[in-house]
Amino acid sequence: MKLSEKRDGLLNFSDYKKTKHKIAYYIFMFLLIIFALTALIPILWLFITSFKTVTEIQSTNYHLLPQTFKISKMLDVWNRLSFGKYYLNTLIVVIGSVICAVVFNAILAYAVIILKPIGYKIINVLILFGYMIPSALAIFPLVMQIRNFMGLNISLINTYFPLWFAFGANAYYYLLFKDYFDKLPKSLIEAARVDGLSDLKIFFNVVFPLSKPIMGVVAIFAMTASYSDFLLPYVVLQDTKMQTAMVAIYNLGTTNTVDSSEFLMLLVISIIPQLILFMIFQKQIMNQSVNSGMKD
Amino acid sequence: MEDNIKEYKRKKNYKPIIKRNIVAWLIMLPSLLLFLFFVWLPIGKNIALSFFNNYKFTEFVGFDNYKEIFRDYSFLAALKNTFAYILWSIIIGYFVPIIIGFLLSECVHAKGVFRILIYLPCMISGMAVSFLYLNIYGDETYSILNVIIRLFGGEPHAFKGNPNIIIPLIVIAMTWRGAGGTALIYLSNFQTIDTSLYEASRIDGVKPIKRFLHITLPIMKSTFMTLLILQIISVFQVFYEPLVIGEWGGPSDASMSLMLLSYKFAMKDLEYARGAAVSVILSLIIITFTVIYFIVNNIVNKKEGE
Repeated sequence: MKLSEKRDGLLNFSDYKKTKHKIAYYIFMFLLIIFALTALIPILWLFITSFKTVTEIQSTNYHLLPQTFKISKMLDVWNRLSFGKYYLNTLIVVIGSVICAVVFNAILAYAVIILKPIGYKIINVLILFGYMIPSALAIFPLVMQIRNFMGLNISLINTYFPLWFAFGANAYYYLLFKDYFDKLPKSLIEAARVDGLSDLKIFFNVVFPLSKPIMGVVAIFAMTASYSDFLLPYVVLQDTKMQTAMVAIYNLGTTNTVDSSEFLMLLVISIIPQLILFMIFQKQIMNQSVNSGMKD
Repeated sequence: MEDNIKEYKRKKNYKPIIKRNIVAWLIMLPSLLLFLFFVWLPIGKNIALSFFNNYKFTEFVGFDNYKEIFRDYSFLAALKNTFAYILWSIIIGYFVPIIIGFLLSECVHAKGVFRILIYLPCMISGMAVSFLYLNIYGDETYSILNVIIRLFGGEPHAFKGNPNIIIPLIVIAMTWRGAGGTALIYLSNFQTIDTSLYEASRIDGVKPIKRFLHITLPIMKSTFMTLLILQIISVFQVFYEPLVIGEWGGPSDASMSLMLLSYKFAMKDLEYARGAAVSVILSLIIITFTVIYFIVNNIVNKKEGE
């Protein structure tokens, strides 16, 4: 698009006929470039610096670029800390969390908003109440429950179950599903009911196929959230063999197991999956982030 | 279903409706159990715990835990810091997304690329961003800030060790990560402003700056307000940055937040009851602001409906 074709907004093509306004536009663009660079430079700096050796990093002669860009350094760090193991653990946690996030919250929203059994309003209020309070605030009683599951002396510490199922009780995902189901045409569900389908079958045969877009959104959200989740995994996964990438990063970053150059490389390694995810799903992620900020 | 209830009542046939209610409850039972286990029980237990001496709930102590934390140095520091966090986040972080959102809404060249670049930091986890900024502010020679300072012939400075500037530094890190997402919200709101309003004033010969002051700003007022409240709510929950950059809220509690303190009491100092009291206070604050948010939103929606 060209300036002479701009029809909406504060300034349009007729304003841009004046040089004064054209200059203003280029100042806008300049500012935008500054902001974009501010967003980009720390990430670029991290990528570049992570390829430096410790001596390069600590030398008083500063060079912006490392002397050599060896991809092998990334592989070395990866292998030495066997980071593949942490990635595999993270993958297990993410997959389980995404499944739980989609299935349990969708079914709950379906029951509350479409089946509307007696008492559904109370449940809705209780969920909204839980939504206001950040989950991290009640982590201590939760951990005690995990240590002694149902008072049966079964400890779920060092298992993935608490991390998976925690995503099944997410008020935000529930609200996303609820809003979506509320907009589904009622006639479809009524028709299925007349056909004699049971309530559970209506969910799987009618509602489920219609809800793919919102399920995709929740799945992407759960994917990023569970990948970056730290608090619960940090407490639950105490066995180093089971830890996720974020927990490993925290443990390695706060102890002296790795030197600064290796740690920067680890940060890069931990960011890459998120950047790949963003590249694939940027449209969904950015659109939904707009909607989520302006709930109701 | 409500129509059906009436129908059934008329026929005095309650059987199907009872059956359908039981089925519906059975369908949502697994999800409800999860909410009970992960959300409602922990919150309830935490509230109870704040009035007891220990997790066995044997000794009821009334408001003693609350009295104690109000004499606690770290808690008072965290309370004070919370206001500093809010103040700095408004100074540093509030206007940046507004400006970016406006610029994006007026931009015609490479808008998509700008949107992506500006949103990019939002994708990185809070933990990784905190470690990234720990390295940017670090004392070591490679930290960006010190490199720039030495470029101009200054002495390297231990930024994160300075209690006077640690909160602004943390707020910069938070803003860097959060601004892009908020900017997109502003962008979508700037874009929904009716073009004909601008067109009418353009025909009247009103200058762009006046158009901005008399059309754009009044329309956006409600968005400014709601996002301000949302920002304050999120600032109360700052956690990773003081944990990583401040190394547990340091130096000497200068960056301690209420969120981090409640976690530190419960999981590090093993003062569960005190941690519970802190989290109850923080929850009450957050609920208050959330209620304000809903009230403001309702007023705005009503006005728009008129």
